[in-house]
Amino acid sequence: MNTSVTSIKLVLLGEAAVGKSSIVLRFVSNDFAENKEPTIGAAFLTQRVNMGDHTIKFEIWDTAGQERFASLAPMYYRNAQAALVVYDVTKPQSFIKARHWVKELHEQASRDIVIALVGNKLDIIENGAERKVAREEAESLAQQEGLLFFETSAKTGSNVNDVFLGIGQKIPLKTAQNQAQDGGRGSSGLRINDDSRVDLRASNGQATSASGCNC
Amino acid sequence: MSFFDSLRQKAASVNFLDKLTDSSQPTSRDQRFRSEYKLPSEETIVDDTNADISIMHPHTRAKDRSRTGGKDRNSSYVYSGRLYLTPHYFVFKDSYDSASCNFTINLSTIRKVERAPASSYESSLAITLYCDTRMVIQFIGLKNRTEQFCRKLKDVLRENVPNTKKLIPFLDSCYSEYLIAKNVLSKCDARPSPAGLGQKYRYPGDLSKEKAKLKLWFDYFQDHGKNLTIVKNHLFYKLIRVGVPNRLRGEIWELCSGSIYNRFANPDEYHNILQANAGKDSRAIEEIEKDLNRSLPEYAAYQDEEGIKRLRNVLTAYSWKNPDVGYCQAMNILVAGLLIFMTEEQAFWCLVSICDNYVPGYYSKTMYGTLLDQKVFESFVEQKMPLMWEHIIENDIQLSVVSLPWFLSLFFTSMPLPFAFRIMDLFLLNGPNALFQVALGILKVNAEDLLEVDDDGMFIAILKNYFHTLEQSAHPESTNPKYKQITKFQELLVVSFKEFSNVTVSMVEQEREKYCKDILHNIESFAKRTQLRNLPQVRNLTQEELSNIYDLFYLCIESHKISMGTGSSNMDFEAFMQFLSSFCDWCKPGDSDHIPRFRKQKRDFLKRIFSKWDRNVTGELTLNDVVYGVDSLLSKDIMSSINNFFALFSQSGKDEVSGEGILQLSEALLFLTDAWKSGRCVDNLTKQAIEDDIADSLIIKNSGQGESLENIQLPSGVTIDEEKYKQEQAERYLQAASHFLQRSFEYAKAAEPEEEVDLLDLSDGEGDSSEAKKKKWQTLRANAALNPEKRSVMNLATFRMIILADETYEMFFALTFRKSIHVGEKIGSLDGRGGALRNMFDGLLADGKRVASQVRRRVDSAATRSSGSSGAAMDTLDSQEEVDDFSSDHPYEHEELLKNDLISFEEESEDGVRSESQRKKLQDFSFTGSLGSGDNSLIEFET
Repeated sequence: MNTSVTSIKLVLLGEAAVGKSSIVLRFVSNDFAENKEPTIGAAFLTQRVNMGDHTIKFEIWDTAGQERFASLAPMYYRNAQAALVVYDVTKPQSFIKARHWVKELHEQASRDIVIALVGNKLDIIENGAERKVAREEAESLAQQEGLLFFETSAKTGSNVNDVFLGIGQKIPLKTAQNQAQDGGRGSSGLRINDDSRVDLRASNGQATSASGCNC
Repeated sequence: MSFFDSLRQKAASVNFLDKLTDSSQPTSRDQRFRSEYKLPSEETIVDDTNADISIMHPHTRAKDRSRTGGKDRNSSYVYSGRLYLTPHYFVFKDSYDSASCNFTINLSTIRKVERAPASSYESSLAITLYCDTRMVIQFIGLKNRTEQFCRKLKDVLRENVPNTKKLIPFLDSCYSEYLIAKNVLSKCDARPSPAGLGQKYRYPGDLSKEKAKLKLWFDYFQDHGKNLTIVKNHLFYKLIRVGVPNRLRGEIWELCSGSIYNRFANPDEYHNILQANAGKDSRAIEEIEKDLNRSLPEYAAYQDEEGIKRLRNVLTAYSWKNPDVGYCQAMNILVAGLLIFMTEEQAFWCLVSICDNYVPGYYSKTMYGTLLDQKVFESFVEQKMPLMWEHIIENDIQLSVVSLPWFLSLFFTSMPLPFAFRIMDLFLLNGPNALFQVALGILKVNAEDLLEVDDDGMFIAILKNYFHTLEQSAHPESTNPKYKQITKFQELLVVSFKEFSNVTVSMVEQEREKYCKDILHNIESFAKRTQLRNLPQVRNLTQEELSNIYDLFYLCIESHKISMGTGSSNMDFEAFMQFLSSFCDWCKPGDSDHIPRFRKQKRDFLKRIFSKWDRNVTGELTLNDVVYGVDSLLSKDIMSSINNFFALFSQSGKDEVSGEGILQLSEALLFLTDAWKSGRCVDNLTKQAIEDDIADSLIIKNSGQGESLENIQLPSGVTIDEEKYKQEQAERYLQAASHFLQRSFEYAKAAEPEEEVDLLDLSDGEGDSSEAKKKKWQTLRANAALNPEKRSVMNLATFRMIILADETYEMFFALTFRKSIHVGEKIGSLDGRGGALRNMFDGLLADGKRVASQVRRRVDSAATRSSGSSGAAMDTLDSQEEVDDFSSDHPYEHEELLKNDLISFEEESEDGVRSESQRKKLQDFSFTGSLGSGDNSLIEFET
């Protein structure tokens, strides 16, 4: 199949130990493990996903969650087209931090950035632990701020792919629009290969599948 | 008062950058000396001199003897250079080529010092070290200078005698000593000292050359000494460049970084820190625990409790040693690397050395050092590799996302470990410039590939691949086997240290200095933006005001450096006093501050506010606490501002204040209004009075001329008596205070209300005869407020009523107080505003429009008055009273009243002691300073 490839720069943000790296590991390798490679500054990974007749290449920047690395974050979300703001559904503090990240992204990142709010560690709740961040609370934040919203478990893999697919579905639309406006790579840092100048809107809503193809 | 003086000075020199860069002040000679020789902070130059030095090691002497047939002959080289004496070290450097001979010998290793035979105009010393090394020092220079040096040497040596005890156990911890003991002294029972994890879990990488390398070092130690007595020459540097044997690496790292000197000087510190903090918890420790299993997990020891335990100990100890840094991810990897070759204690001191001297600020709370070095690196790329730089700029590649991990983890996470260790050897030997040299080398070697791609992700991919093939041949196609043998890593070292040899330590320092201010400034504004963005929502503060509060808040916390992330970011009480006095008129330094009683009053009151704002009862205020607090001060609603004041005195959960509290409350009111009483500030009532007077005098002036009202000019040549208004205002405030006291004791209830007194009745009270007053105080006497056995209370409603019954106080809570808090003004401008009455007048004049309209209104009202109707045109706020009425009615009556009251306190109180003190208190506040006859300055109104 002759596929066109769209690159999406995506950054993960969130408090330490909410499972950012695990979400990426699940998405990229369909695996769950103690993190082997510690995240210094940020880890860079890629994953291709086929959506209909085109391929999205996610360029994922998985940032360090330790508080003091926050001053490095702009380096990573600069020019990002998408962001996952991750929190831990059993840690209210991590949700507060998530709010802060959303605010910061709206203020500092590219105007068109697609943000997904992701409550991770759903499996712990399913195993009887107490939920500390209500789904409704997160949903209402997502609605206010115009975010995609998911609750996931990187451990079981539940919903993880949907996060990325959700983002993938939202981005091509924007890409197409932007291309029409500024004729390809604009200052907003969109990275599109030349062969991807097709109207991607047509493929929206079509059945999608994540391929295991790594690069 | 020094507190206020310092505040004033501070406010005058407000500049955050000053505050944060003062740590990078020009360094002193001692500092430069210490950093060159990597000596601990207690080493200072006691004396220094020029000298010629020759050194004979026992091994070379033996060799000589065998060659010359037993004759001891001095055949060693003589080096000319500078000799320094510090409290614990003898430091020497050859003047022509420092790498040909330099040493840092610990004085405790000296066994004997004797005068060597010399001609009459020379003096020289022969020094023998513990290991039988002999050294002859030939002094160059004037004899008396030389003698002085020798005297000082003698003193210092004497002081070092106790340290010799430390020597033996210390030497036991050095692998070099073991090498000598085993091979020279042929002690078969010699056991290597405890070392790094590699001793047990093997060293990573190719070990085939280990023995050969060890032999080279063994020879070096024999010929040139070891650890605390080592003399470094060209061979030393060369041996490190070819790669240090694993068994010796720990000791060589210690030696190169200077951490060996720190470890020797503080033999117990590491264990003491661990012991003193055992079982304690901290944020850093939480974070450390999370990462223990993620630190070089591929190395066997870190899959084991043994390795994890050591890692935990070193990281925790450092977090206690330097709480400003605590723990930063990447330190775990660095320490994991160090621990393979070093004991816990060695690794600890080496980490201290790296963090303090090599890469300062890398792991700080803001990571400013990391960001700074990225900027420096970019600048080097721009200077040294213009083509690459152009490519990077053109394609908008963020170089730092590629290179930051290299620097932050000192290449430990980028390269296979054996290579990273080699880089570490050179980094510790040469200094931070080695990181830049290697990083530049990496870009250079891969330039061809990198120039082909156009985004940072691809940069990372190419280099990742490169790092994993470092052991492969750099020239696989070459037919020359020698050429083919060269690995990519060797090639990298050559490119890095040959092509970029001009990237020196001092150059790195220069560049760091160049960009430091910018980086710190960026971090500061980033931190500010972040914090302001995340502040709680408040009603009474604008964004600009919040920004000012932020600036003031951090300005007052001296120990805290925002950009470096050091010190506590919370505000203690002293800082809080400074903070409030920097923008609240009533808290500003004034004449009354000279009165101890007033100062105490001020302190007590501020303490109440402080505790109120300290919502989590931590004894410190966070920025959020302060924002909430200031917001409540600025409440626009008179009721809530009265409530807030009252709440400072009421017990939590109750809205009433008991006997003693009532007194404190009224005293606090006296304090709070002092600025107005003493004429430092002017309230609206006075302002109006002044405007009215101007209007009056204008009307008189114009009365005969029948000018059209539209053409009213601002008064010119009208003189206004400043002192008069001051006095009037002071009287008004005194009167309000006296009313307040009187009423509050009247209305403060015991168990149940005694009698209903009409408020109106009371307000007329000042006109009462003295008999009536006495009678009132009879009631007061019965009042439980003064009787400790009968607890009397004042509730919020009563307090409100009493406040609202007095125009001045009502105005105070409605407006005056709020207007005296200047959060809207920029920091710098706050000091310029002296707050004097004169400034107020100037302000009034500048605001000519207002005066003009006031005049117009007065003329109108005069006209309507004459036509018999009441003045209806007045605006509600301004028309509350004809201000000048009250002061002319009863000039000093309230003062008399207050005096009388005090006497009756004294006479009638059952508790004489207390009333005495009360009287004193009140006198202090009421009569000192405020009404003193200042120079009767007349203010000339012009225009």
